[in-house]
Amino acid sequence: MNTQPAIEISGLEKRYPKFTLGPLNLSVPKGSIYGLIGPNGAGKTTLIDLIFGMGAPHAGTIKVCGFDHTTDEVALKNHAGYFGPDLSYVVWGDVGRAIRFVKGFRPTWDDAYCQHLLETLGIATSEKIATLSFGGRTKLGLLLALAWKPQVLILDEPTTGLDAHSKQAVFSELLAIVRDEERTVLISSHQLSDLERFTDHVGILHKGRLLAEGATAELVERHMQVEFTCERTVLENVPGLTIAEHNENRCRAILDTDLCSLEILEQHGACEVRSQPLTLEELFLVLTK
Amino acid sequence: MSPKSLKLLLPPVSPAASGTLYEQLVAGLKQAIGDGRLTPGEALPSFRQLAEEMLVSVITVKRAYEELEREEIIYRRQGLGTFVAEGGANRSREAKLEKARKLLNEAAREAAEAGLKPSEIRSLFLETLND
Repeated sequence: MNTQPAIEISGLEKRYPKFTLGPLNLSVPKGSIYGLIGPNGAGKTTLIDLIFGMGAPHAGTIKVCGFDHTTDEVALKNHAGYFGPDLSYVVWGDVGRAIRFVKGFRPTWDDAYCQHLLETLGIATSEKIATLSFGGRTKLGLLLALAWKPQVLILDEPTTGLDAHSKQAVFSELLAIVRDEERTVLISSHQLSDLERFTDHVGILHKGRLLAEGATAELVERHMQVEFTCERTVLENVPGLTIAEHNENRCRAILDTDLCSLEILEQHGACEVRSQPLTLEELFLVLTK
Repeated sequence: MSPKSLKLLLPPVSPAASGTLYEQLVAGLKQAIGDGRLTPGEALPSFRQLAEEMLVSVITVKRAYEELEREEIIYRRQGLGTFVAEGGANRSREAKLEKARKLLNEAAREAAEAGLKPSEIRSLFLETLND
């Protein structure tokens, strides 16, 4: 079996006057759905843009399906589909013309699958792009990225503005895409409950760095919410403990059970320790505070 | 024969239900195997197929299958697929029983913490049964 990752990013760095992305190492396993999450301005879009050759990194390499993003740029773009919220197709007039235009560039375009996507997403070739709703344009963008069946799909905020039905339809399609174990999806999104449900792996990007990464369920289950009473100063530097809120001597925090345990917490002087599981969203809120 | 769809045979996997998504899937499969809706030798969908049917990540289904495999309720044959094990129904029922015992223990502890005496707890259990 070919175990080469679908996307492999190593030592990537891009510096701007006010923001630095990286150094970043990230690996997306083939056949998986990988969720890239991070607060606004964390560097998600910068990273995705770099993959597609928009801007040159200062250091590091990016490979998609084994193709280097600078030396094999054409091959990479023949294997990787892109969707971003800023894509505009208005100049093509109607949905059908946009489809015919993009199809011309993509020898692997699948007409039957395109028809299926038109139906499940609920758009028609006769519709005027200018009068499509925001969600409608998102659907068109997704259709154009999906219908040529690229090996790797990189989707930047693909469900913003979609209603619950359409969102479910999109995730259902993404699960169908990874079904053959050959194709891979990288998705950046703020819809954390969706990502918790549908992704196999997540990476949390914060201020240009990858804060935490792993199999989604493992990452979530590895952490728990803890509450206790303690002097704050005592616990500030306990590895694996991230303090969320502190009021007098009451403390609410998140515990990484790979690095710390309730026993260790008590040894540090925490009293009345209570713990409970958390969601990806709750983990995200504390880690990226 | 290709495996039948489990979409409507299993309870929906929902964040509003108790337990993690994969635990819900394990419980649903045990229920279906325990009450004979899935029979020994019957093929189960691949985990990628079930992920698509239940709208959960592939890894969630993989974990559920691995747990059921460990408990010998289902088994995997390389290249052929995953099947309900001979005796899987019994083991599913045992697992259910084990869980029921745990929940009853927990209920007894809650009742004791509420100040009920053993005799009162016993009648509480009987009352619950008669409802």
